[in-house]
Amino acid sequence: MPLPPGLANLQHIVVLMMENRSFDHMLGSLGVVNPNIDGVSTGLSNPDTNGTLVPPQPNAQYQSQLQPDPDHHFPAVDLQIFGGNTSAGRQANMQGFVKSFFNQQRDVGQSHMIMYYFAQNQLPVLTTLALEFAVFNRWFASIPGPTVCNRAFAHYGTSFGRVDMNPLEILAPFKSVYERLIGANPPHTAKIYYYDTTSSTLEVVNLLQNQPELFATYEQFLQDCASGNLPEYSFVEPNYNDHQADGGEQIASDQHPDHNIQAGELFIASIYNAIKQNPDLWASTALLVTYDEHGGIYDHVVPPSCTPDQFTASANDTGTGMPFAFDRLGVRVPAILVSPWIPKGTVVNRVFDHASIPGTATKFFLGDYSQRSPREINADVFIEPRVDPVDADRNLLSLATMRTDCPDFET
Amino acid sequence: MTVIKVPHPPKGSLNPDRPASSLLLAQVAHLHEAEKNLPLRYRSERYIKAVRTEGEAANYIREVTEAIHSAHEEAKRRRFAIRRKAVIAADTARPRRKRSGTRRSAKKRNRVRGRRKG
Repeated sequence: MPLPPGLANLQHIVVLMMENRSFDHMLGSLGVVNPNIDGVSTGLSNPDTNGTLVPPQPNAQYQSQLQPDPDHHFPAVDLQIFGGNTSAGRQANMQGFVKSFFNQQRDVGQSHMIMYYFAQNQLPVLTTLALEFAVFNRWFASIPGPTVCNRAFAHYGTSFGRVDMNPLEILAPFKSVYERLIGANPPHTAKIYYYDTTSSTLEVVNLLQNQPELFATYEQFLQDCASGNLPEYSFVEPNYNDHQADGGEQIASDQHPDHNIQAGELFIASIYNAIKQNPDLWASTALLVTYDEHGGIYDHVVPPSCTPDQFTASANDTGTGMPFAFDRLGVRVPAILVSPWIPKGTVVNRVFDHASIPGTATKFFLGDYSQRSPREINADVFIEPRVDPVDADRNLLSLATMRTDCPDFET
Repeated sequence: MTVIKVPHPPKGSLNPDRPASSLLLAQVAHLHEAEKNLPLRYRSERYIKAVRTEGEAANYIREVTEAIHSAHEEAKRRRFAIRRKAVIAADTARPRRKRSGTRRSAKKRNRVRGRRKG
């Protein structure tokens, strides 16, 4: 049976990972537009330190609101998910976000802001992509903790037992997805595009210092899209800091608090436009836009349990007095898959986390590959492998003909 | 086809004096670890504990990232130079092929090559 044309044509997977915003915070407004999207609804709330129930409200601002940066390290996220319950057999209830934010400034009014979300018209790029293509109702951070570990899952399929922000110790036999692809026979092509050398990469410890040839800049990404030289697998990093460069002011575009959200919208649009403006590339590329973790910001969906990783973080390492077996996912984050072969308004309810990223790329380009973490091996894939027969219920690139009605962003 | 306008951040959004976030400080720490593996001449000699602002973090990040790339470029050039030396040495050591007959005069060589005077 012939492969669906969307899969048959697919040659490039691009992943853009932004920073520190939860699903409800960014896409929660869309539940009223598309009832299949599990966004903000009436009845949701978090208690503040006075016992007042605080509902989510569409009062999020682009900048200067979430200060200080909401705590998203392991102990704080534990409080956010379990509401302060540390007893054995406890149940997650997503009731600790306001209390967690209160701990940072001891200001009751300010603590309520952690429940704020963006109205649809404030995020024209992200909400349009979510409504036009495939939005994932159940994409979670890989661990209930901070950036470094979650990004590690996106590169290696594991964080090697780490739940903090310290440099990772990369342990054999788990290679990064880039090393697997480039080292295959025949070799595949892969790159990490960071914004520029001033923003650099968050994958420093192993990849930048050992294989700097894996890296290129955002300018190079634009050129590669225009010239048709994009590698088969690309990971794009936004600008992580405000700085001056030859091109003038470079405003951070990662959307990490307290960076400007609109700068991030422009960046996402530029990645989308770069792919779309090359018709051959547009027809043969799938773009995943996601966020590394929720940044301490409210979401209402309880993270599910998952296959344990083969590592365990000690009670000392977690800072909670309890060990962690990597058997529970982190808080939900926005995740959108873009392709002209995806039907408009697709909503995916299967469970994913960032281990799905190397898992998908590996299975799609290499097929069977055993030397991966248990978490990655058991993670779902967002693009079906090109193996006949393709499961029609799972294949998101399902259209028989390519769409011609996809939006354009004017930046 | 719908065209959606994307607003730009307002002027004044850039703030390199913003206190560096825990993420940026972690990135600085990671680069500091990587920097320890660089030859001395590539090291920044910056005291990372004194990094306080986003701008200071950005300067350090650029310096070390570029140093890592430069160090690898230098190693690549050295590798190429070593290989080139080895090729030249092997070529020099190879016995030369003997020419048949006597050495031709320049006049005869040019005639053979079809060059004419005038």
